Amino acid sequence: MSTDPGAAPGGGTGDQPGMTLGSGLGLGPQQAGSFGTTGRGPRLLSGGGRKATIVSTISTLVVLGAIGAVFWLAPGSAAFRHAFFSPSNMWQAFIGDPKKGYYSVGEAIWLNIRMFLAAEVLILILSLVIALIRQSTGPVLFPLRVLAMVYVDFFRGVPLLLVVYAVGLGVPALRLPVISYQSSTIYGIAVLTLSYSAYVSEVYRAGLNSVHQSQVAAARSLGLSQWSALRYVILPQAIRNIVPPLLNDFISLQKDTALVGVLGAIEALQAADIYASAVFNYSSFTVAAILFLVLTIPLARFTDRLIERDRRRRLAGVLR
Amino acid sequence: MMRRVVIAATAALAVSGLAACGSSGGNGGTSATGGSKTSCTYSGIQRSLYQKGVLTVATDKPVYSPWFENNSPGNGKGYESAVAYAVAKQLGFKPSQVHWAYEPFNDSYAPGPKKFDFDINEVSYTAQRAQAVSFSESYYDVQQALVALKGSPITKKHTPADLKTYVYGDQIGTTSLQFITSEIQPTATPKVYQTLNVVKEVLQTHQIDAFVMDTPTAQYIAGYQVPGAVMVAQFPSTGEHYGLLFAKGDPLVGCVNKALTTLKANGTLAALQKQYLQVYLSVPTIQP
Repeated sequence: MSTDPGAAPGGGTGDQPGMTLGSGLGLGPQQAGSFGTTGRGPRLLSGGGRKATIVSTISTLVVLGAIGAVFWLAPGSAAFRHAFFSPSNMWQAFIGDPKKGYYSVGEAIWLNIRMFLAAEVLILILSLVIALIRQSTGPVLFPLRVLAMVYVDFFRGVPLLLVVYAVGLGVPALRLPVISYQSSTIYGIAVLTLSYSAYVSEVYRAGLNSVHQSQVAAARSLGLSQWSALRYVILPQAIRNIVPPLLNDFISLQKDTALVGVLGAIEALQAADIYASAVFNYSSFTVAAILFLVLTIPLARFTDRLIERDRRRRLAGVLR
Repeated sequence: MMRRVVIAATAALAVSGLAACGSSGGNGGTSATGGSKTSCTYSGIQRSLYQKGVLTVATDKPVYSPWFENNSPGNGKGYESAVAYAVAKQLGFKPSQVHWAYEPFNDSYAPGPKKFDFDINEVSYTAQRAQAVSFSESYYDVQQALVALKGSPITKKHTPADLKTYVYGDQIGTTSLQFITSEIQPTATPKVYQTLNVVKEVLQTHQIDAFVMDTPTAQYIAGYQVPGAVMVAQFPSTGEHYGLLFAKGDPLVGCVNKALTTLKANGTLAALQKQYLQVYLSVPTIQP
């Protein structure tokens, strides 16, 4: 299972090695391949030498130039740029000004990060429990299975924002001891956990299903109990298969922490909204967008790398 | 402290500057805004309208008393609805020629062409906001007031020092929220909600101790909307006032300012305030 660095030259397709090594021009088939389904992997710039690099650089500049020209030459460009990209407003929104009632967007993003990290841990646990219940076969667990199914159907089907309102406003209204007196951040984490566990449990379930039935049979024939077989044989294989889709859901989760703002928590988007409506300038939203990108892009690239590593690992077996 | 004074002085200058602009326009007979001569007759203003023959007035949804009644801007009832129809009459429109458009607050200040002639939505004038849109002169000088639940500590203890110790909440984008952070300066960060309805809800569920709102709205909420709520007191004026919101540099502003000047001079605005907003007139004032 060890990765052979030379196994996939240029990130190419293992089953058509001649095409990947494309010396000289070779742009025709290469280009077609990059849009096709031959499994080129996540690499943006495929192999093909210096010429391909030059061509791709020029085409990138042309595309960026065209997009830039539309924004710069539009009749309302100056007003547009002032409304969305005014540097002084962006800076002011980023650092905030308590005297004027502006919350710092840069400070508020920490709340998003904290909510995301807390929710992520809880989701990983809760969704695994749900997935295992749904995959169970014992007749005694039938009511739990039905409950888990209803849970998943409900939280996948209801818009997240509605759940945020229902929990964030409904639970305090009950006036129960302790749980009715939590901060909006806690309710936000609870809602994100409830909602995302429904999605992630399905990812887990797909992972569990992807492990061949013969693995269970083999483990049991070695004398492992049902639990031990799950713990030591099935789950490790299942989880490795689902890491990329799992991370995909977590990228989405990072953004959805912004919805908790409706409960009064000062997270980044809420802080940006407060600034925008106070001074009538949307540049604060641009700041929030940049901060969210800074958060999500590293995770996206990390996911890409994991997918690539996994692909190579499988191809290494094919090429041996 | 010094900084606050400077800001207040700047705001005062800006306000007086605006008033000066308005009055000079009023004295000149015909108002000339943005260099183009706009006659403020019905036919003269047609080309600056969003839709010819119709005065398109925008507001948010939902709308509340006492500014509007029954969440229906077109019935002519409620202070802002009545002001809009009074302005329309001054400009030569019949009530049937006034169209109401829905404009969410956050969209109202977007750059580019507007889908209305003016927006009337309790929008406070500030110098910074006036860089993005144009405002008419004041149609209501506003003060902020404090709302809490009956019997809660803040109803008894509200010296400036006491006020800092409570947990506040308010609606996003309001000058009331800015009043909390800049004037009351509480130790706990105020909570900020998207709509007024949520603010009312969290007051009832004790997630906040109190909120600040313009006096007429505060009075209405305490009197009719939230059982058990009370308007504790109002704060002294900060020179804040509501203006009609126009696209930046809209030539119509001059004509509407003329209309507002007339409505002030002939007592119409005062009468409408008495009719719709008078209930709160004997409210105690406390210092933030």
